[in-house]
Amino acid sequence: MQGVGFAWAIAPGLDRLYPDPRARSERLLAHLAPFNSNPYLATIGIGFALRLEQEVARGSAGADHRLSRLIKALRSSLGALGDDLFWAAWRPTLGVIGAAVALATGSPIAALVYWIAYNALAQSVRWRGVRAGFASGAGIARVLQDPFWSRASGIMKTAGAAASGAVVGGALWAASGGGLEGISVFLFITTFLWLAGLRRGSRGRWLSPSVAFLVVVILLSVVVQVSAEVLP
Amino acid sequence: MSLEQSVLLTVFGAVVFLDQWPVFQSMLSRPLVVGAVVGVVLDKPADGALWGAVFEAVYLGLLPIGAARYPDAGLATLAGSAVALSAPASVAPPVGWAVAVALATGALGDHVGGFLRRWNGRTAVYVRERVAAGDLSAPGRAIAIALLRGAALGAGASAVALTVGLGGLALVVSTPWSGPLPMSVVVLAAAAALTVNGTRLFVDGRSRLSAWGVGLVLVVATFGLMG
Repeated sequence: MQGVGFAWAIAPGLDRLYPDPRARSERLLAHLAPFNSNPYLATIGIGFALRLEQEVARGSAGADHRLSRLIKALRSSLGALGDDLFWAAWRPTLGVIGAAVALATGSPIAALVYWIAYNALAQSVRWRGVRAGFASGAGIARVLQDPFWSRASGIMKTAGAAASGAVVGGALWAASGGGLEGISVFLFITTFLWLAGLRRGSRGRWLSPSVAFLVVVILLSVVVQVSAEVLP
Repeated sequence: MSLEQSVLLTVFGAVVFLDQWPVFQSMLSRPLVVGAVVGVVLDKPADGALWGAVFEAVYLGLLPIGAARYPDAGLATLAGSAVALSAPASVAPPVGWAVAVALATGALGDHVGGFLRRWNGRTAVYVRERVAAGDLSAPGRAIAIALLRGAALGAGASAVALTVGLGGLALVVSTPWSGPLPMSVVVLAAAAALTVNGTRLFVDGRSRLSAWGVGLVLVVATFGLMG
């Protein structure tokens, strides 16, 4: 239903451009086409569509076909950019940092900071997207090809990699409190989870991360309980 | 768990379900946040934060890209954390049962989400027909109704998961079947999951391997200097 959402979001603009209800209905129908994009960058598409709707409202020849064609091309570009920036970079990077801090401190503040930091970028991109899409007009390709997107994603992923390495260091340090035993347990769990997540060609992973984690906690529980019974 | 807490968690479950893809996407539905909120509701904020971090580590690598199907990490965390935090303080946390409940809830949430998507797809067809007939308020109305039914489905899935999870807890708590583990071991396991999932996501071949190494060395050196 992103198409319905797109149409609903653009409707106030169409109300201004088309006083005639029949024309408004026709244009609203055109925007009910399927629209699947990243949710934060979708507003760029809305702004851009409104810009082109001005040409359609002025009666430019072929403007409605051009709009439809460009929106179709735009949605996949916006989806790819947004997915790479938010789903593959910003969200998991903050997730690693937030989870590490929460595991180390047990503080719910980590979750609050995570939530604020994530939305500081995501919602501001969403908010500014309408104006950016509207202002860009024919220059939308320049906006999409701006090195900002890949640079930002690359920086975030590098930070995520550093954070993941830091988690290893912190976990090994914490595990060393339990001596060689603690370090061995950590390394065993890590190795098991890594191997369980290896891909078997096209058949997916051996075990999904959540199932692998369940297997780990069950194994550990069995070991702990047997040790408690067997050891003096 | 009191009746008020159960109702609060069920309502929160509706919010979590909606936040994932129907509306907002503000990450209120991320495990890290869900666990913390569940902890606040159940008056155990620190434990809730820990469980949120555990499930964030487990579900870190699930990326909603393209047409990928994935478990509902938000509802999974809500149910799993609630179960873990509802055990009496005198027993070891029922980790195995809590994680199993989370997995099952994640799968339930995925199916409920799929059902909602199909229903919304039929609604989109109906909206086109209404707009073609001149009903320009159809999109807004359809969105409001879709959100209400999404909230109802999310609340329903949460209620089912909490009922089954807490009911099962009553049967297995204090028995080996609950998979008891000290929290320190759970935290270690979660750190391992965070390591594996984070490394897999960000270190692609040699790319960013040096950043990963720098992170490792910096933390070890910092802890070493601090003694």
